[in-house]
Amino acid sequence: MKPGGILVLLAACLAACSNEARTIGPAMPQTLPSGDADPRIGAYQENAYQVSQGRRYFAWYGCSQCHAEGGPADRDLTDGKWRHGGGFAQVYASVASGHPEQDFVRRIAIEQLWQITAYVRDLPTHTAEKRYRLLVDQKGEAQGSSWNGPQ
Amino acid sequence: MTPDPARMDALDATWKDKPGLWGFLTTVDHKRIAARYIVTALLLMFLAGVLALDMRWQLSVAENTRMGPQLYNESFSLHGSTMLFLVSVPVMEAMALWLVPLMLGTRNMAFPRLSAFSYWLYLGGVLTLWIAHALDITPDLGWFEYPPLSGPSYSPGHRADIWAQMITFTEVAALAASVNVAATILKMRPPGMTLARMPVFLWAMLIASLMTILSMPAIMLVTSMLISDRLVSTHFFAPAAGGDVLLFQHLFWFFGHPEVYIIFIPATGFVSSIVETFSRRPLFGHNVLVLAILAIAALAFGLWVHHMFAVGLPRLGNDFYTGASMAIALPAGLQIFCWIASIWSGRVVLHTPMLWIIGFLATFVIGGLSGVMTASASLDLQLTDTYFVVAHFHYVLVGGAMFPLFGAFCYWYPKATGRLMSERWGRVAFALIVGGFNLGFFPMHVLGLMGMPRRVYTYPAEMGWEWLNQVATAGSVIAVLGGLVFVGNALASYWRGAPSGPDPWGGSTLEWACPSPPPAWNFAYTPRVSSLTPMWEDASRIAVFDGIAVDRREVLVTSVTDAVPVYRQKSASPSIWPLVAAAAVSAMFIASIFTPWAIAAGLLPIGAALTGWFWPTRARATSGPLRARS
Repeated sequence: MKPGGILVLLAACLAACSNEARTIGPAMPQTLPSGDADPRIGAYQENAYQVSQGRRYFAWYGCSQCHAEGGPADRDLTDGKWRHGGGFAQVYASVASGHPEQDFVRRIAIEQLWQITAYVRDLPTHTAEKRYRLLVDQKGEAQGSSWNGPQ
Repeated sequence: MTPDPARMDALDATWKDKPGLWGFLTTVDHKRIAARYIVTALLLMFLAGVLALDMRWQLSVAENTRMGPQLYNESFSLHGSTMLFLVSVPVMEAMALWLVPLMLGTRNMAFPRLSAFSYWLYLGGVLTLWIAHALDITPDLGWFEYPPLSGPSYSPGHRADIWAQMITFTEVAALAASVNVAATILKMRPPGMTLARMPVFLWAMLIASLMTILSMPAIMLVTSMLISDRLVSTHFFAPAAGGDVLLFQHLFWFFGHPEVYIIFIPATGFVSSIVETFSRRPLFGHNVLVLAILAIAALAFGLWVHHMFAVGLPRLGNDFYTGASMAIALPAGLQIFCWIASIWSGRVVLHTPMLWIIGFLATFVIGGLSGVMTASASLDLQLTDTYFVVAHFHYVLVGGAMFPLFGAFCYWYPKATGRLMSERWGRVAFALIVGGFNLGFFPMHVLGLMGMPRRVYTYPAEMGWEWLNQVATAGSVIAVLGGLVFVGNALASYWRGAPSGPDPWGGSTLEWACPSPPPAWNFAYTPRVSSLTPMWEDASRIAVFDGIAVDRREVLVTSVTDAVPVYRQKSASPSIWPLVAAAAVSAMFIASIFTPWAIAAGLLPIGAALTGWFWPTRARATSGPLRARS
């Protein structure tokens, strides 16, 4: 293989690997997405760690109480049909402002909303078995009503 | 035993590899393959050692900012996984691959192409882990990756998959090497070398190989279960769906504990060889040593739970495994006393290899004693996950296995290269490594008792751990400098060392009877053995056999217990197929991180490669059920 080819391959590999990046601590967004083309979206939507953080907050903020898999179609987030639009900014707005009684805009930190949005948009890309497997470990955690204090 | 030149030419024509790259890729010469294994493992030891230095730098000052938590997690995970799976176990198998045929006076391993396959697959595992590291997909959960943390929910991405699949690579490679070593030792001993006349080194390698064969399937099973949890959403380790996270720990340590003896037992073989030669007397208590190794091997399978005292098992279970763990101090102690008695009653010559054995005895005994302490379940609850444990396992693994390995390297270096290493620089390296190691790791016992936990990337200054950490860092720097002197000495001696001749130390076993470096065919004739120390009977006149072909690759197969010649066996010729097969297996392993279909699709190229490998070289039979029909 020519050196140029190796470089292209290497660049492709490196580009693919932002999927694995794992930054701990305050990261980029402290503001709402500016639109569906916000350059920060990729760092959340394409990143395995950020999506998985979104899954935890999704359960911890009680989203899964109503948005359980196999529930009513208008609340099922896994079918890939978006009633209020499937763009990142649109889903973000639905999560943050679409639940006025929960007041998520005020209760959930902005970066966590980014993560939850990325998770919700990631859901339809997996099989039902995979989604169940991803949730089942978290179900075993002590949280909410099953939390009985530090061990 | 000096053969005439015409015979040597004929043997060269039969056994030498083709020159150049093709010969490099197709060789089945056990010495070339083992040398590759050893060089790769030493290179990785250097890389993982640099990671260790980097971590010591981070810990030398409280609240240091050299590393964040994520980089620190990646560093210790890569350090531990590399040192355990890619350095310690493979380097011991490599020493067996190199030495076993020479010590048996035979011309190659039992399965020459399997040796080559083993190395290429090991290299696949090395590249999987380290190329992933270069691409920033470094495993970050320690050298044992417990679920649920390593499960799909908490370890998204492919970091944990890389770790789990790297293990599959190295374990298949280890199984290939172990089957090869065990078959060679059991079936290819020279006439006269009954089991009772087998040197301790060969016993150690045989027992370690059998342990590998028995324990490795557990880890391959458990990492495959982890991958299937992550890839195809099975529930092996999901308690909320009826799985069991402790199952992972049991299966991991059912392999993991024997593994440390798979590393340590070959080292006892090195120690026995070196002690015998440099004490100038047959080993004291040969039978006791062999039985002690057997006892350690048997006990090693019955005490894995002492790695899990803190996970909340029944009291009786903890008590049983405390007793079993302490019991292993008995055979280990018997070994130590046999070596001390050999040294005490012999005429000791303190060349560099023997210095390493003295360093081993002192350091390993400290590690053994802290092992008896951590074996106690009640004390272990206090010590587990602290730096005391870090100190303990570095004392047993570095002191108990790496120091004998360095001694073995110096001891057999003249045999491999035909040149002596510098004694002066050998002593400097010994003093720096042993001194630096003890300075670096002894304070960790104290740090552990003060409560410093393992795997923390930093600590507040008020804990008062700073100065002991600085001593530890200084010790590691000194030990690494010693390592550089050691490698520099080995490199310089390769070109400038004094010629050694075939037997510079006056060794006791058969490998010293062949030229240094050994030719491709090792021995021109098959030696005949009548004692445990054949070279000391009358070194100039070892009885030999003729009758093994010189014009085609052939080896002698003997019976298992009495080493009675049974038949002459064709020995496989060089071939590209082991490399092709290893490449096909590597492709399947790596692709199976991403899709389960890779296992089905990957079987086709593997099947094709194995078909090429085993393509018959003789004509079809003319009689019997498989006869050629027209």
